[in-house]
Formats: sequence, structure tokens, C-alpha cells
Amino acid sequence: MSQTIFYILASLSIISALFVVFSKIPIYSVLWLIVCFFTIAGHYVMLNAQFMAIVHIIVYAGAIMVLFLFTVMLLNLNKESEPHKRTYLKFAAILSAGVLFLTLLAAFKSTNLTPYQLPEVNEVGYIQNVGIKLFTDYLLPFEISSILFLSAMIGAVVLAKKEK
Amino acid sequence: MNEILILMKSEWVLLLIIIIFLFIKVGSTEWKNENLLYLANILLLINFILGFVLNTDGIIFDEMFKTNSLICLEKNILNLGTLLISLQSYHWLKNHKHVAEFYMLLLSTLLGMFFMISSNNLLMFYLGLELSTIPLAALANFDLHKRQSSEAAFKLIISSALSSGLLLFGISLLYGTSGTLNLSEISQHLNGSNLQLFAFILLLAGFAFKISAVPFHLWTADVYEGSPVAVTSYLSVISKGAVLFVFVSVLYTVFKSLGIAWQNMLILLSVLTMIIGNLFAIRQNNIKRLLAYSSIAQVGFILAGISGCSQLGTTSVIYFILIYVFSNLGAFGVVSIISSTTGKETISDYKGLYKSNPFLSWTITIALFSLAGIPPTAGFFGKFFLIMSAAQNGNYLFISIAALNMVISLYYYLILVKAIFMDKNEQAIEKIHVPILPKIAMLICTAGIIIVGLYGEIYEYIFKLSFGY
Repeated sequence: MSQTIFYILASLSIISALFVVFSKIPIYSVLWLIVCFFTIAGHYVMLNAQFMAIVHIIVYAGAIMVLFLFTVMLLNLNKESEPHKRTYLKFAAILSAGVLFLTLLAAFKSTNLTPYQLPEVNEVGYIQNVGIKLFTDYLLPFEISSILFLSAMIGAVVLAKKEK
Repeated sequence: MNEILILMKSEWVLLLIIIIFLFIKVGSTEWKNENLLYLANILLLINFILGFVLNTDGIIFDEMFKTNSLICLEKNILNLGTLLISLQSYHWLKNHKHVAEFYMLLLSTLLGMFFMISSNNLLMFYLGLELSTIPLAALANFDLHKRQSSEAAFKLIISSALSSGLLLFGISLLYGTSGTLNLSEISQHLNGSNLQLFAFILLLAGFAFKISAVPFHLWTADVYEGSPVAVTSYLSVISKGAVLFVFVSVLYTVFKSLGIAWQNMLILLSVLTMIIGNLFAIRQNNIKRLLAYSSIAQVGFILAGISGCSQLGTTSVIYFILIYVFSNLGAFGVVSIISSTTGKETISDYKGLYKSNPFLSWTITIALFSLAGIPPTAGFFGKFFLIMSAAQNGNYLFISIAALNMVISLYYYLILVKAIFMDKNEQAIEKIHVPILPKIAMLICTAGIIIVGLYGEIYEYIFKLSFGY
């Protein structure tokens, strides 16, 4: 059962990701990206990480995508403006991407991966457990990310502030 | 609790300085730029001195953070470089509106590098790397009215996002195959399967982006040219040095069992980096671009040293980076003062500099000699040890290519020296008054270039601390 759901979700997310890249109109790309984020949130639920799924939808599909949409609308990108690439560049890009894909596929095929084991505790993804983990085992990374946000904020303020 | 305070003391001090600047900025009193700069330099000096006391070994936070004498030494080198850059940028920052922000961003990147060096966990490593690159993009844009500066920031953030993506993909595959993020546990779970090799290549590509080794170097010249000189020197010395420190330790301790795979990759990368860095440097006319390509070529030599796989490799890399801090910052210090007073940055502008500014000319000449590796300067000894380390594999074709590249690099360094001393120029740069702080920084650099090479104890000391293969 869960395997069927996984395959459906995975193919949906790949198809929507492809549409993001292939859409000629930026607004459509952004909308397909929202679909892609929702399918990824579905993966989180399947991994028993409900809290992550909800946060993913709220932050990515909610806040960030709204920003994206605003930017696309304000910049009036709603037309084809992509510069034309030369043929040999396209050919080289296809070739190297294909080789990379082949290597990745071969690497996956030839490696024995141990099957995924579900964690014994069922409430692994609940907010309480995530919080306990964050403030015990992962305390240091958690605090460092707060410094990262502080410095990113300072940088953004400096760049965005109007010169007097 | 006490342990956390002592083992993480360099991080605590840096965090404290960042918070001091935050409060100064938020507070109601307006600080004069001069006072703020003096305060910043004094705090950085204190930070540098504190790096020498209370150095103990230990692992804390569930094996996420480790420290030992070698890591403390690496942090001291980075502290020294940051102090020198701060002294040199006095002249540029004096008239800048955002001095406090400059130091907050600069020190948070330094903090990120410290965490990266001390990390014993891939999550910590990744966070430290991000903390050390994202504020740098804002710093690259600090010439707020210049379009070129914004372009540099944009290129930096895009390319570092791409390299973080590669790195994260590699980390996730590594996590999938080994089931842990702890570096010492990963090294036990490495079995050389194809997927792990692939993950390792992705990790290597991420690293190569950060140190701008050749197939991944395309962002370097544009970013270096567009950013303010202080940030350029920071990018080329401090952030590169920090990533190289981590690179050596990750290769030598974690990926030791894949050694046969990465040794040949490193030799290939090193040859490409040296040749392309040098050949492109010859064609440059802008001095910042020239130094950018020269720094790419220097990374090629460092990679050659790493490919030696021995204790000599570690030692020579750390020793060379110490020398590189002095020599590159000596060159950038002069470029910085000339660029911020006259705005001139091309090689032809430097013609006849010796007539008007003998002090600046001598400083940059000694620094360039050291970068080129001419004997009495420290650069010669640094390159000598790097090549000696590379020679341990017995790959003499590789060594001769490296030696040939030293000759090529001499050509473009000497073009600049010739322009300064021998060429005549009607509109030569006028006499520049060098403020006291940049002057101190230049003197320290010159002294460092001479002393580090001739005083052998320093090399012995690093050798004693560093780890083998």
C-alpha cells in the first residue's frame, strides 16, 4: 500500500518538477513548483515526519511561493524573454547531463542498499519530539542557524536600505 | 559547563564582538567612524591574542564540535588574517556609512569558518559553510553605489548556492549509505561502493567550488574584480584558507580509504588549476583580476601538496597558507590603499609608482616575490615544501609541470614589478599619504614574509602538531 502511494507521489513530483523547467511562462513555473512542494510534503508524511510536512507547506508553498509570485508579477516577466543559446552549448549540456545521469543510475544499481527500517517510536514526527531533539542533540546546529539568520538579516537590511 | 566555555572560547569571543557591534548600531549614540574602527581593531587584536591562551583538546556536543592544538593554530592564522585585513581597510571604511554592519558580517563569516574547522559532523560542517558564505555575498556588495559590486554579490551567491547544492546531494548520499552524519563514524562505514564514490565526487566538487579549483573557477575573477578590495582579499585568503584546512583534514582522516580514487583526481585538478590559472593571469590588465587568477594558480600548488598523502602534506599546506596570508595580504594592502584613494586598478596605472611611493612599491614587490616563490622570501620555502610533498608519489612528470608553472607565474608577477620600478609614466600616481593602521599592517606582512621563511622553528612547530595520513 505505502509503496504504491510512494510511487504515485514520486512520479507526481518528478512530472511537476519537469513542468517547472519546461513551462515557457514564469507564472506557470511558479504554480507547478507549488504542486511539486505539496508532493514533497507528502513524502515527509510517509516518512512519519508530520511536523516537517506542515512546516514545509506553510513556509515553502505558502510564504516563499507568494514572494515568488509577487516578484514575477512585479517584474512583468510574463513573456518569453529567454536568450537563445548556441547549438553546440545545448549539445554539450545534454551530453554532460546525460553522462551524469547514467553515472548516478549505474552507481545506484551496483550498490547494495540496506532496506529502510521504520523507526520503532510511532510519534517520531510530532512537534514535541522534534523540539526535544532540537534542544538536546542538535542544540549547537540550532543555535548556529540563528546566527546565520541574524547575519543574513543584517546583510539584507544593509543592501535594501535607501542611501540618504 | 566550564568545558563548553573553554573549548569554544574563540567562538564565544567572536560572538561577543558581534553582539557588541550590534548594540553599538542599535544604541542611540552615534559613533564616529574613526572611533568605531579603532575599537574594532582593538577588539580584533584582543581576539587574536586570546587565541594563544587556554588551548585544550576536547570533543563536546555529542561529538559535533572538536578542538585540538592544530585547530587552534588554524584559527589563529585566520584571526591574524582578519586583523590584517581590518587594519588595511581602515582607509576605505573611514568614509563608509555601514562600518558596524561590515564588522558584524565579516565576523559572522569568520565564526562560520571556525565552526566549519571544528566540525566533526556533516550537519555542523554544512551550517558553518553556509554561515561563512551567505554574509560574504552581502559584503561583496558593500560598494553600494557600484553596479559591478552588485554583480559580484549576485555571482557569488548564485555560484555558492550551486556548490552548496552539489555538496548537500553528496552529503545526503553519504548519509544514505553510511547511516550517520558523524565524520569519524562515516570513515568506518566507508566501503568504497560506487554510490559512496559518487557521493565523494559531489563533495569534492563542492569543495573545489569554494577553493576555485579549475573546472569550478569561473566565478572567481568577476567576483574578485567587482567586490571592494577588503572583501576581495578576505575571499582570496581567509575563506579559501579555511576551506582548505577542512579539505585536508576531511581527505586525510575521513576519506582515507578512498585514497587511491582521490589522489589521481587531485593531481588532475592541480595540473589544470595551475596551468589555466597562470595562462589566464598573463592576459589580465586589471590588477584585481590578475591577483584573482594568481590565487587560482596558488590553489593548484596547494592541491599538489595535498596529493602527497603524508604528514608532510598537511604541514606544508598549513605552512603555505600562513605564508600566503602574509604575501597576498601584503599585495592586497597596497592595491587597497591605491584603489580607495585614486580609484586606479589597472597595471598601466602602476607605472612609475616607485618614483612617488617607494614604501608602497617595496611592500608590493616583496609580496609579489613571495607569491612567485623567489628564494629569500617565505613563498619559496612554502612552495618548496609543497612540491616536496607532491614528490613523494614519485610522479615526476607532475612535479616538472608544477615547476614549469612557477616559471610562468614569475612572468606576470615581474611584469607588474617592471611597471612599478622601470616604466616611465607622465600621469603617475601621486604621493599617497598612508594612514598609520594600514602602514602597520603592511609592515607586519613584510616582516612575516621574511621571518616565516627564515625562522625554521615555525615549520617544525606546525609539523609537530599536524596529523599524518
